[in-house]
Amino acid sequence: MKMTKENDRYKKIIEILRNSRPDLIQPEGIENEVIRKIQNEDQKTGTVSDFIESLFSWVYIGWVRRSLVGAAVVLVAVFIYQQGFILKQVRNISERVVNIGNEQVSVPSSDFARRLTLYKMSTRLAPAGGKRVSEKQLEDILNSYDELLVKYKDLIRIIEEDPALKQYIENKLNEEGNKKSDI
Amino acid sequence: MKSRKLKLIITLALVMAASCNDPETVVTNIIHRDGSVTRRIEMKSLENKFEISDIQVPFDSTWIVRDSLEITGEGDTIWVKRAEKQFASVEEINGDYQADSGANKGFVRRAEFRKKFKWFNTEYNFAEVINKKMLHGYPVSDFLDKEELKWFYTPDNLNDEKKNGPDSLRFRAFSDTVDKKLEKWYLRSLVSEWISEFAILTGDKTDSDMTQESLKKRENEFVTIVENNIEYFDSLWSNGTLLREFIGEENAIKYKSEADSAASIATDHFWDSFKDYTVRTIMPGKLTGTNGFIDSTGILLWPVNSDFFMTEQYIMHAESKVPNTWAWIVSGLFLLFVVTGIILKKKKSVS
Repeated sequence: MKMTKENDRYKKIIEILRNSRPDLIQPEGIENEVIRKIQNEDQKTGTVSDFIESLFSWVYIGWVRRSLVGAAVVLVAVFIYQQGFILKQVRNISERVVNIGNEQVSVPSSDFARRLTLYKMSTRLAPAGGKRVSEKQLEDILNSYDELLVKYKDLIRIIEEDPALKQYIENKLNEEGNKKSDI
Repeated sequence: MKSRKLKLIITLALVMAASCNDPETVVTNIIHRDGSVTRRIEMKSLENKFEISDIQVPFDSTWIVRDSLEITGEGDTIWVKRAEKQFASVEEINGDYQADSGANKGFVRRAEFRKKFKWFNTEYNFAEVINKKMLHGYPVSDFLDKEELKWFYTPDNLNDEKKNGPDSLRFRAFSDTVDKKLEKWYLRSLVSEWISEFAILTGDKTDSDMTQESLKKRENEFVTIVENNIEYFDSLWSNGTLLREFIGEENAIKYKSEADSAASIATDHFWDSFKDYTVRTIMPGKLTGTNGFIDSTGILLWPVNSDFFMTEQYIMHAESKVPNTWAWIVSGLFLLFVVTGIILKKKKSVS
């Protein structure tokens, strides 16, 4: 009994809702708007596919397709060759890795050997029983020689650059020569 | 007179080997991608005495200098001078080499830099080059085989390790063989230099049997004469015996002064005083090629010794590659584009 009452009430509410429709000012306008929106959606899908279609249109032109595929193959080949070559070079390089120990590399033995040969020659050339010069003394000779050489070169350059000085020195040297010849 | 000069030269050469007051110098080149070079010099000496005339590479007041005092593991005090300078290009380094007033100013040295774009990578090449001292000498490779050449160019401390390590007898014998061959190389080059200089000095004055070609043909003969008389070389040269044996009595008298001058030039080229140092180079990117040695820190290293450029240019060369990331991305996108196109075409033809 109770259920029948509730059912009746429900049916009445539904009836009221059905009869009380909203007042549309321009129902045709809304209808047109909905149709337009649906059409636009279709158009959008069409643009993307058109773009993809045009982007890859080259695949239908034989010579372009072949050229691009060729270029891609060349690119891959160049890449493989270059990277392979670099790997090979790096492998070769690793064979040259050495443990130097300290930063300053000492003079190769061949140079010592040469100097040693010269040493042998100098002792052979020295008069028999002649007095040997100590290492320290030889070192001093070299230092003096080096300094002298630098100073001599500088002196020559200064003289060459100054004609008056050059003339003066030449005169002096001539005078010295004359003096010697007098003696 | 000649005898005295030769003795003096030999003595000086000997003393050069004994001299240990020169600063130990290491030159480091840091190469940048734009071709600029940061150059560092580190000089170590037992005395606080660093004269520009003692320094092996160009150095002046434009360098930023830092001095320090260090104690070695053995407890010795050493003075260290560190200098740094930024060079915009190798041309600036070459300018410094040309204006060098240091210990090795008499030697022609230069730096080279080359950059090559190779799409996926850019290749960088850097080299320091020292011109040869003797113009008419023989390449050392004519006297040494591949293994012996390797030994010749290897830093002495590495060879010493071998000579004092396991299998030392074999390495010592090998080292002796190399030394003997090198002595032959010195003598042959010296004789060749003398012949060429003598031919230049005598010029057109000589007969057909005294031209450079005819003298060169008899070079072996002259080398043998010198070798057989090496003990008395000095006196035999000064009294003209050797020259008489080589070019005949009449020519020896006629061209004595030219022969002496040629000998002087040749020995000057041979014994040109050079102070050794070490070159280190740090390249941009991945190191792919070099003729130097690589230390445990990955830095390139070359010993610079006068024997290395006696008869040939000494080229300290390094090559490296830097990957061009943008080129990798562009290439990847291009490949993707082509592959996608082909797949799409296949799909369409199937449907």
